Amino acid sequence: MVMVDLWRRGWCLASALLVPLLALASPRLLQLDAIGPAWAVLWLLPWALVDGPISGALVGAGLALLLDGLHPGPVSELPALAGLGWWWGRLGRRSLVLERFLPLALLAVVGSLVLGVSQVLQLQLRGTLPVAALHVLWAQALLTGLLAPLVCSLWLLIWRQQLPGVR
Amino acid sequence: MQAGRGFRLSPQRLLLSGWPWMSLALLLLAVRLSKGAGLSDLYALVSRPFWPGTAQAEWLRAAQRLDQQSRLQSLEADNQRLRRLLGLQQAAGPLLAAPVIARPASGWWQQLLLGRGAWQGVSSGAVVTAPGGLLGRVVAVTPSTATVQLLTDPGSRIGVWVARTGEHGLLLGTGTARPVLRFLDRDARVRPGDLVTTSPASTLVPPSLTVGVVQNLDEQAMPAPEALVQLSAPVAAVDWVQVRR
Repeated sequence: MVMVDLWRRGWCLASALLVPLLALASPRLLQLDAIGPAWAVLWLLPWALVDGPISGALVGAGLALLLDGLHPGPVSELPALAGLGWWWGRLGRRSLVLERFLPLALLAVVGSLVLGVSQVLQLQLRGTLPVAALHVLWAQALLTGLLAPLVCSLWLLIWRQQLPGVR
Repeated sequence: MQAGRGFRLSPQRLLLSGWPWMSLALLLLAVRLSKGAGLSDLYALVSRPFWPGTAQAEWLRAAQRLDQQSRLQSLEADNQRLRRLLGLQQAAGPLLAAPVIARPASGWWQQLLLGRGAWQGVSSGAVVTAPGGLLGRVVAVTPSTATVQLLTDPGSRIGVWVARTGEHGLLLGTGTARPVLRFLDRDARVRPGDLVTTSPASTLVPPSLTVGVVQNLDEQAMPAPEALVQLSAPVAAVDWVQVRR
């Protein structure tokens, strides 16, 4: 059932390809001290809010696999993105209030921090933690939180228009 | 007798009437003793509009560059021959120019994406240089792209040495613009401004590629002194790089 649902949402899912493309392009206008936002969070948050926990976790895992291929080393974004997709999906089932600007920004900040901390822990285990890890963490979370109301609202609007069946 | 007395001058009058000539004589003496100082400068000032134009200076510079290039080629050929005799790593393979098509700004990894890949003969481990020196190594290759791990990446580790003192060290990326050079000897004699190159004995990267300049030295670091290195290749500005296949 979930797979059928995902298939129906094929072209909406295809928009997930924008995430690795934006991560690679990393437009300079959207950087804070040479750090870009967590594009995965900005895409996954509205998707999970709209489509629920199972879809959120699965799509989060798929997105993480795409992103993991872009950087060297065994560090993975999969646990964090799958967990965030599940959590946001559950939250989305409970309340529509979360889709307002401030809750979206806060959820995006938390998501960016969770994603960053998961990477910090893995890098720490490998002994290759950047000196400026805290700086990267905060810059990315701040930028993601600032962009979330705009970007996530836009995705929510588009997906609700294109997929009338969703909640 | 009376008439002759009128031509006699007293020493004071002689001095007064002859001072211009004496001054001139002193001036000439000064010019002579100073090897033409003043005179040459005066000549330079007067003749400045007629000096040779910049074209001639450019010719001289071009000739000098040509001379230096030919000497460099000759020295490189000698170096290659000697390294072959000693069985050491060769300095240069064929070079491939590659465009930089992405600079991901994740903050966790310092990497570049090049628009050349396996189809063009790029392989994992290939060394990437830019005007200024070494940038990093290729760590992943797709048919049409290659991912370069920069020297600033936290996972980057290459052997380098300081040519002035002949000391070896390990260049460790820290995720910032300036990697750390960790020396192997406790008593490092390095000082700020020393040039850092790849190690002549390195098996991973070609020898004697410019890496950067020592910026400051922490002699108290344990277990061995550490130095911050300012990389010589401008990573942020470079749009084309060279891959040594």
